[in-house]
Amino acid sequence: MSDYKKVIGKRRFSLIFSILVILFLYLPVITLIVLSFNQSRHGVLWTGFTLKWYRDLFSNADVWRAFLNTVIIALSSAAVATVLGTLSAIGIYWHSFKTKKYFQGLIYTPLIIPDILMGVSLLLFFVAINVQLGLITIFLAHVTFCISYVTLIVIARLQDFDYTVVEAAKDLGATGSQTFFRVIIPLISPGIVAGFLLSITLSIDDFVITFFVAGPGSTTLPLKIFSMIKFGVSPEINALSTLLLGSALVLSTIGIRFRKIIFT
Amino acid sequence: MSQKNKTGFFISLPGIIWLTLLFLIPTLIIVVYSFLTPGIYGGATLPLSFESYTTMLSNPGFWLLLWKTTYISVIATLITLLLALPISYYIATSKNKNFLLMLIIIPFWTNFLVRVFGWMVVLGRNGLVSWLLNFMRITENPESFMYKPSTVILVIVYMYLPYMILPIYSSIEKFDFSLLEAAMDLGSTKLKALWKVMLPSIKGGIIAGIILVLIPALGSYAIPELVGGKDGAMLGNLIARQLTVARNWPSSSAISMIFLLISALGLLIYLRITNIQYKRQKAYEDYISSNGENI
Amino acid sequence: MKKVFIVLFLFIMVAIPGVSETLHIYSWSDYIPEDVIESFENAYNCKVIYDTYDSNETMYAKLKAGATGYDIAFPSGDYTEIMIRENMLISIDKNKIPNFNYLDPDVLKMITYDPGNEYSVPYQLGSTGIAVNTLYVDEYEKSWSIYLREDLKGKMTLLDDMREVFGAALKYLGYSVNTTNTEHLRQGKEVILEWENNIVKFDNEVFAKGVISGEFWVVHGYGENIYYEGTEEELKNIEFFIPEEGSTLWIDNMVILKGARNVELAHKFINYVLDPKVSATISDYLLLPSIVPAAEEYIEEERIYTVEDLQNCEMINDLGENLKLYNKLWNEIRFGLW
Repeated sequence: MSDYKKVIGKRRFSLIFSILVILFLYLPVITLIVLSFNQSRHGVLWTGFTLKWYRDLFSNADVWRAFLNTVIIALSSAAVATVLGTLSAIGIYWHSFKTKKYFQGLIYTPLIIPDILMGVSLLLFFVAINVQLGLITIFLAHVTFCISYVTLIVIARLQDFDYTVVEAAKDLGATGSQTFFRVIIPLISPGIVAGFLLSITLSIDDFVITFFVAGPGSTTLPLKIFSMIKFGVSPEINALSTLLLGSALVLSTIGIRFRKIIFT
Repeated sequence: MSQKNKTGFFISLPGIIWLTLLFLIPTLIIVVYSFLTPGIYGGATLPLSFESYTTMLSNPGFWLLLWKTTYISVIATLITLLLALPISYYIATSKNKNFLLMLIIIPFWTNFLVRVFGWMVVLGRNGLVSWLLNFMRITENPESFMYKPSTVILVIVYMYLPYMILPIYSSIEKFDFSLLEAAMDLGSTKLKALWKVMLPSIKGGIIAGIILVLIPALGSYAIPELVGGKDGAMLGNLIARQLTVARNWPSSSAISMIFLLISALGLLIYLRITNIQYKRQKAYEDYISSNGENI
Repeated sequence: MKKVFIVLFLFIMVAIPGVSETLHIYSWSDYIPEDVIESFENAYNCKVIYDTYDSNETMYAKLKAGATGYDIAFPSGDYTEIMIRENMLISIDKNKIPNFNYLDPDVLKMITYDPGNEYSVPYQLGSTGIAVNTLYVDEYEKSWSIYLREDLKGKMTLLDDMREVFGAALKYLGYSVNTTNTEHLRQGKEVILEWENNIVKFDNEVFAKGVISGEFWVVHGYGENIYYEGTEEELKNIEFFIPEEGSTLWIDNMVILKGARNVELAHKFINYVLDPKVSATISDYLLLPSIVPAAEEYIEEERIYTVEDLQNCEMINDLGENLKLYNKLWNEIRFGLW
């Protein structure tokens, strides 16, 4: 990659802007972290420091079960959706074949169906084919709505992709799969990673679709939290979110460091 | 050429099979429902009828709701776009790309509701903003900034920002910055170079981002329900209400179909643009490779 | 990596149903106290899995679409009637529920949606009222007319619930909450529109938090939510009342769903809940009047309201076909559709 510094200069404007945007993103998050230590149950006012909610959280088996379900489903469905979505993106973008238009329509339509209809339609479908509702049905549903997002992002990446590199590789004698794995995938990997992250985000937070296709006992975190809303969401959830945030930050920093060490 | 066609077909096949089974068929169920008659207690029965469609389409209130929903969503999307561009640019040109990306994404791994509650604390009558304004003597009494149309826009922007950032980042990251260098060497200012050289080539990412934000915003119902005021209801709320409270599944399905058709139009336009772009790019590349020695 | 997840997946799928006997309850969140569930699990050596929903409507939509696996659900009276008509319930064998005799006969008399209690057993009785934050509002009448007060404009909420809000308006006008008289309904709509001028939001989720924190000064809602949400200190500033014109009445019932996997255990649970001591625990937890008179002697906390306070309240019944009438008017109010 070219030397950015020379061309881009100090990027002062975008730096300031970015800092503001990050503050914007973190404002409610910081609030909820602070409130997880607040004595009051629904604090707007700070009434004192306490670790009570963290203690309550650790003894709340229901929340942990829901959390575990959520993580498992998010990681697995994001993985599958990313694979399927990337393949679809490559297939659609670079090749023309008879049924391409159908494929394109099929890939993009899930984006415009309201969740509630997708949830009910999947429920009706699962019932019709006699599949027991449970974690698997949630997994299936999540992959289904994530594929389109991954495809869209990877295609955006492909559009600015220089196909001549592929041709050069072929000219140099690379086979199809070598070209695929050693040339194409690495060059579009930022798109793939972006798609994967987006899928996880979508899955972790999904409420409506999950509600309809969840079976007895297969609660996910959004379901659990949303159901608590009438009786007030306890700060235990704030505590959980804080822990989640903290560990995600730590893990990703480690992951990035690790990667740097391995690849340099 | 036909080898390439077959490859394309087979590569896409897994995704297509998945979606046909788990998306197309369930959706067809909804389409069928939209043409049925509502049962008294939910569900639907024969006879087939267009009534669910005609009742809605002939209702001026429905179009008003559609307009309001579109208006809010478009504004929210534009704001999101304006916020996303500089930050995507910064991340894509930074040395700590992955770290910054994680920084952006991680807040969104806390739960949606919890974040909404966070905003309630910030914007509420006895919340941060109100307190700050009182403190700075800009206002006298506690003011609430919740439950207004602008609250809905703010929360939509907040919730969908990463969906705009990711695709735009993805595009900028691939951009060849030496083109900018060339432009500036030829005398352009940096701003002009960004506008005229970079922006057009990241169009794909921008459009993807717009779609990923605008469409879900149009269909959102949890956000207006939680932070919208009494006038804040959007189309998604009507769809949900018809399904649950009114127990009118055909109506809910019909409204979704109408929404689908209108959005599909937008998508078709997008596909048109990208197909044309692709064809142009391919033609250009073919031209280059066939006249290689002459350049 | 993927393999690890698949294995974990399968493990969880297998592990959960693997316990001895399991009862699947589908109910409102926090509606049954933890200790009651635990003591039931211990008494009958079983596991209870508790799934939740946030409204009758979404629960019904999901069950109607065909979801199975839940044993007991907790619909309100009107939805109990609907579920009976739609053949979604298993009839209850009263021989397996000897504690049924503990139920208050006066309450049983109110039950028109399932005469004879063939399919349902009442769990809780309650009403909807108004809560006021007295830090901000000094004088007020304990009436629905509070929603006409312009000085409180922008500081009040009504429930986002068609039957509840119409119920309130109709009671205010002196009509039945189940009326199908179009003139009454039209007047009801007018009243609601006048009230709507002064409210900031139709809300089902955050009214309790809101009134306690001062975001709202007057809210329409359920007493038990508010009392659960606030500490003793905070509740000193909250007054909850049932308006003098009367309000809606609801009874939440335990029903056994078709497709239930453990009908025996379901009966045992229903029976367990009606035991006076257990009923008292539940009542203390929810602060709602107990429908088991014999529980009186075990009750420790003070109720939010007693059964006598609910004299003026009328039960919400299912409207069947006539739901359309209400629905049209409600859409006009909420969306401006006409």
